[in-house]
Amino acid sequence: MADLASPGLVDRSGAGRTSVEAAALAVGFSAALRRAGVPSSPDRAARLAEALRLVPPHARDPLYWTCRVVLVSSREQVPVFDAVFDAVFAGTLDPADFRGDQNAPPSIGAEPRTRPTASDNRPAVAAEPVLLPQPPALTPGGDGSIDPDAPERDTILVTAAAEERLHQKSFADLAPDEVARMRQLVRRIALATPERVSRRTRKTIWSAPRLDLRRTARAAQHTGGEPVRLVYRRRRTRLRRLILLCDVSGSMEPYTRVFLSLLQGAVAAAEAEAFIFSTGLTRLTRQLAVRDPDQALARAAASTQDWAGGTRLAESIRHFTDTWGRRGLARGAVIVIISDGWALDDPDSVRTQMARLRRLAYRIVWVNPRKVALDYQPVVGGMAAALPFVDAFVSGHSYAALAEVAAAIRADRSDTHENTRTR
Amino acid sequence: MTGAARTGAEDEVRRMIPDVPALLDALDAVDYLGDEGLATAMFLAVRLPQPILLEGEPGVGKTEAAKALARVLDTPLFRLQCYEGIDAGEALYEWNYPRQLLGIRLAEARQANLAETELFGPEYLLRRPLLQAIEHRGPRPAVLLLDEIDRADAEFEAFTFELLAEAAVTIPELGTVRATHPPIVILTSNRTRDLHDALTRRCLYHWIDYPTPQRIAEIVRRRVPDSAAPIALQAASAITRLRSLDLAKPPGIAEAIDWVSALSVLGVGQLDAEGVDQTWGSILKNRDDLDLALGRGAAWLVGDHG
Repeated sequence: MADLASPGLVDRSGAGRTSVEAAALAVGFSAALRRAGVPSSPDRAARLAEALRLVPPHARDPLYWTCRVVLVSSREQVPVFDAVFDAVFAGTLDPADFRGDQNAPPSIGAEPRTRPTASDNRPAVAAEPVLLPQPPALTPGGDGSIDPDAPERDTILVTAAAEERLHQKSFADLAPDEVARMRQLVRRIALATPERVSRRTRKTIWSAPRLDLRRTARAAQHTGGEPVRLVYRRRRTRLRRLILLCDVSGSMEPYTRVFLSLLQGAVAAAEAEAFIFSTGLTRLTRQLAVRDPDQALARAAASTQDWAGGTRLAESIRHFTDTWGRRGLARGAVIVIISDGWALDDPDSVRTQMARLRRLAYRIVWVNPRKVALDYQPVVGGMAAALPFVDAFVSGHSYAALAEVAAAIRADRSDTHENTRTR
Repeated sequence: MTGAARTGAEDEVRRMIPDVPALLDALDAVDYLGDEGLATAMFLAVRLPQPILLEGEPGVGKTEAAKALARVLDTPLFRLQCYEGIDAGEALYEWNYPRQLLGIRLAEARQANLAETELFGPEYLLRRPLLQAIEHRGPRPAVLLLDEIDRADAEFEAFTFELLAEAAVTIPELGTVRATHPPIVILTSNRTRDLHDALTRRCLYHWIDYPTPQRIAEIVRRRVPDSAAPIALQAASAITRLRSLDLAKPPGIAEAIDWVSALSVLGVGQLDAEGVDQTWGSILKNRDDLDLALGRGAAWLVGDHG
């Protein structure tokens, strides 16, 4: 670090132009950072070179802060940045090594290049069986009942009818080829949340409680200042935010492969926020938001090491509420928790965390694929503790059962209380 | 990109803020206590110039930082508080229709002739913060604070950046207003949603960490001048201790200031369990948190382990 004070890093005499050394340092360091998974771009490197001219790196701290302010764009990147910074500037590595040679082995603190980043468009490791698009006629259950004269659109519907058997089958019992087909189906499910009244208004010529004075005045200018036609305004409506929290612990494994496609479809179509949890909580919205479904799942798989472990339900919900929910994500939102409720934590803490979440959310829908078992009783510690705070408890274990999930998500809060309320 | 609109800061700004330590001192002089990281971030925002995105827990002084920078540069601060559904009419400009209508009626009553160009003149324009910041005449650029940008829609985010990149606004009836001194842009976010990549790519970024007890004490002493010297540090340490608990709403700097104010109003010169018991309400504003802290007791809070 002391050697940074040595002259030569930055050409202090060249006030008007960016020195060659600063440019080399900027490019080398941002390349190292990109390798460690922090998205970077040439214009950022150029900006860093410019910044290093303004803040000459005489010591470690100015250099650290200048690089961090320019190259980091979210708090999550700070630990990676720190590691790379230390590795590069502690003297173990020479930033010049990074110039040009893209085949250099990953540096200390840097992760393998397979880690998905914004600039990395190749799917990483295919952790799950690759989904092959299949023409409808080849799907299992297609037994010749398809009318060859029917137009193409109807063919899909007819095929859908032929797949009735598949629809009723529990996700846990699907054969590998059926999983691929099911994922396609599930991804197309359009989830919609109830509407809420937004702050924005839109004009309406029908009588409404509020007169849009501004627009009326504007319209009156066409008629010589005489307000012949009154323009009203009414509040617009918007869909509530949808948040999906999916349990990916070992006990949920048979179902996870399909539910991930549900998450993916919701992120793409309903702008939902997706999280997965088992021992920890991971936000998946970003990873799932790419268009190519296989790539989305591959990125999701690469982003967490947490698959098929135990469940820490209360801890995960607490983490969600503290990090995301309280900041506004969960306020007035419809929250869907997909879990069997087999948790390692104390039921009391599950109760506390569910109560906190309940106070923020508009509705909580709990999807438990094990609910469908004939002898199912929600006596598992976590599940029993969570149930009082849940507005809708549905199974969602098969394609047909997902309709129930969609209806539960769509429902308004008043509907849930109809059972208890007399009207 | 605002960088495209001008390269480098103007001479006068350069003279006012020659380097990072100078900015740190200047911030100190206007009673804002920052650290080197924040000063570097703001220095680069002013000098590159480049918009800067400030993030941090509620109450670490994101908005204050922008205000302090405006005071250092002795320029106006234009603040746009973002919220869901904010649109150009609230952020940029809007015609003052009622006033226009009144103008028409007045002209009619006086039998005067009112040209349309008069009706769409500058005096009928309602200037919102974005336009005000762009129109600012100088001599130094204004500070434009886009507060809680994450609350606005993604479309609004894109619109704002387009506008700031051009540093010019075209009003069909009036013509184009071009900024002579493009504003210094500071954005704050509470991370309720991910900001668009295009935005983060164009911005510098700084995460403001929660300050140390010594720093909190210094801030409190500045804000509550008549507080006794030791009590500020005691309160700051107690707040830091409280934050180690798993609280739903951890107390911040604002709570520390409120608390010390409350204690000095009550005439408490030395923080003790009794003083804490009287003033729980200044620091904890959530029932669950209060229960948790009461479980530990006031003696624990003041650091009395004996």
